[in-house]
Amino acid sequence: MIDAYFIHLLTLIGIYLILAISLQLSLGYSGLLNLGHIAFFGIGAYVSAILSLNGTIFLISALIAGIISGFFGWLLSLPANRLKGDYLALATLGFSFVVYAIFLNWIEITKGPFGLPGIPRPNVFGIDFSSNSSFLILVIILVLISYFFIHRICNSQFGKALEATRDDELAAKSLGKHTVKLKSVSLAVSAFFAGVAGCLSASYITFINPSSFTFLNLIPILLIVIIGGLASLRGTVLATIVIVLLPEPLRFIGLSSSILGPIRQIIFTLMLILIIYFKPRGFFGRVNLE
Amino acid sequence: MTSIFIQLLINGIIAGAIYALVASGFSLIYSTNKFVHFAHGGVIALSAYFLYWLFSKLGLNFYLSALLTVIFSSFLGYMLNEIIYKPLRAKKSSSSILLVASISILILLESLVLLLFGADVKIINFINNNQGIDFLGATITPIQITIILVSVILFFALFVFMKKSKIGKAMRAVADNRDVAEIVGISSEKIYSWSFIIGSAIAGCAAILISLEQNITPTMGTNLMIKGFTGAIIGGIMNVPGAILGSFLLGIVENVGIWFMPSGYKDAIAFILLFIFLLFRPQGILGIKNNLK
Repeated sequence: MIDAYFIHLLTLIGIYLILAISLQLSLGYSGLLNLGHIAFFGIGAYVSAILSLNGTIFLISALIAGIISGFFGWLLSLPANRLKGDYLALATLGFSFVVYAIFLNWIEITKGPFGLPGIPRPNVFGIDFSSNSSFLILVIILVLISYFFIHRICNSQFGKALEATRDDELAAKSLGKHTVKLKSVSLAVSAFFAGVAGCLSASYITFINPSSFTFLNLIPILLIVIIGGLASLRGTVLATIVIVLLPEPLRFIGLSSSILGPIRQIIFTLMLILIIYFKPRGFFGRVNLE
Repeated sequence: MTSIFIQLLINGIIAGAIYALVASGFSLIYSTNKFVHFAHGGVIALSAYFLYWLFSKLGLNFYLSALLTVIFSSFLGYMLNEIIYKPLRAKKSSSSILLVASISILILLESLVLLLFGADVKIINFINNNQGIDFLGATITPIQITIILVSVILFFALFVFMKKSKIGKAMRAVADNRDVAEIVGISSEKIYSWSFIIGSAIAGCAAILISLEQNITPTMGTNLMIKGFTGAIIGGIMNVPGAILGSFLLGIVENVGIWFMPSGYKDAIAFILLFIFLLFRPQGILGIKNNLK
């Protein structure tokens, strides 16, 4: 019983971790105020769910989910390159509302508000990951791959160029860096991993519906990235663990779920307001949110 | 055929009037404060529930409840500025930080509404007899006529206020150039407060008019805010008349768009319009390019 709960929490942490470090790439390292991250998560979840329900094997559907999310990330980067600061935030936020409206209204494909039930648990090369504990192993493997990959990107020449672009775009340009392309690639890679996280989440819960992908769900992820600190992967890992575990005690004081939801949101939003006031750089952050 | 078109056009104008009420307060705050006050939608939602509580729960007279609602909303806007935005500004926070703060407040207010009133839809039954009137082959209800009339009066009052009153002039000065306004002795902090008070009072009026016609739900604020700022950006976020014009345009395009697309895509139409404007004319219809930061 306790083991099962523990495994569930670890799986949640793993999925949130992939989401948060991928947002870190676009928000922290590239300085793009990307509020549409939850949409990439949703696109990944829906694409992989639809593919798996039609019999596609897990690895292929995860890959396609990531690629399609990444493609939308790249598409979104086209207007993003012409917009700055607030306007970029509004455009990406708008994007997440459009995606949500499509999930809700494209009923032939997404079944609208009823969602898609019965998404199969993964089976990779004949190894069955359908039990929760084996699923956790798969999540851990994917978290390690994502972390390794994003860590490598951030510490490569490419990552340094991204940070240079974030800090002073004009200077980066004058050194011959193709800043528009840098930002596009960063947003696409960030969206790719969000899509993979979406795929994991869909096959873990085995059910998705549009309400998991509203911008309410962006708040905990944004909070993780800001509390951990921009451009710090280590901070993000710690913050993910804290933020996922934090509301858990509420479960044990016997609140009904209709009260639990709003209380969790209130805690998260209050924390977000407090952190940007008292510690705008988060705990391990290296740059300010501009 | 023409009567359907007129009906859609009227629906568009009614929707536009509501969006314009949201957008005018929002753009008033944006023009002076220079950051996106998303929580404006939350102020509207909480005010609508406040009206519901006064009128349907406590059984107060409607006009008294409406008056108290406007006072409540402007006080709420003022307090948000005092408690959250002002300290953040004092720490020289960037407008991105203020934006993140305002999104947090929006969700905080919505969660409060959920917690206090529950997720179910609420109805304010003030006008029971809402028989449609025939107008050029289309139907329009007395409440809808009231909405259009009251909003036009409010816009006119706002216009006169901005042009003639001392505070209105000071607001335009701060919106135009804060530093120069400070040099001639206008306290920008005071003007920020005033724009929150007046902008949020308009939000209160919007809350009253909306709750007369539609059901009130905890997430109404987000939906309205999305439409309000889309309208404001289309028309030119830096000036209030532009925001009003843009909102009417948005309402009409959305409703006439139902002709071509399923009605569930209304929101998507709004965003496609938003994207087009952000890409090709970010300053909006009436905006001036060099006004853009």
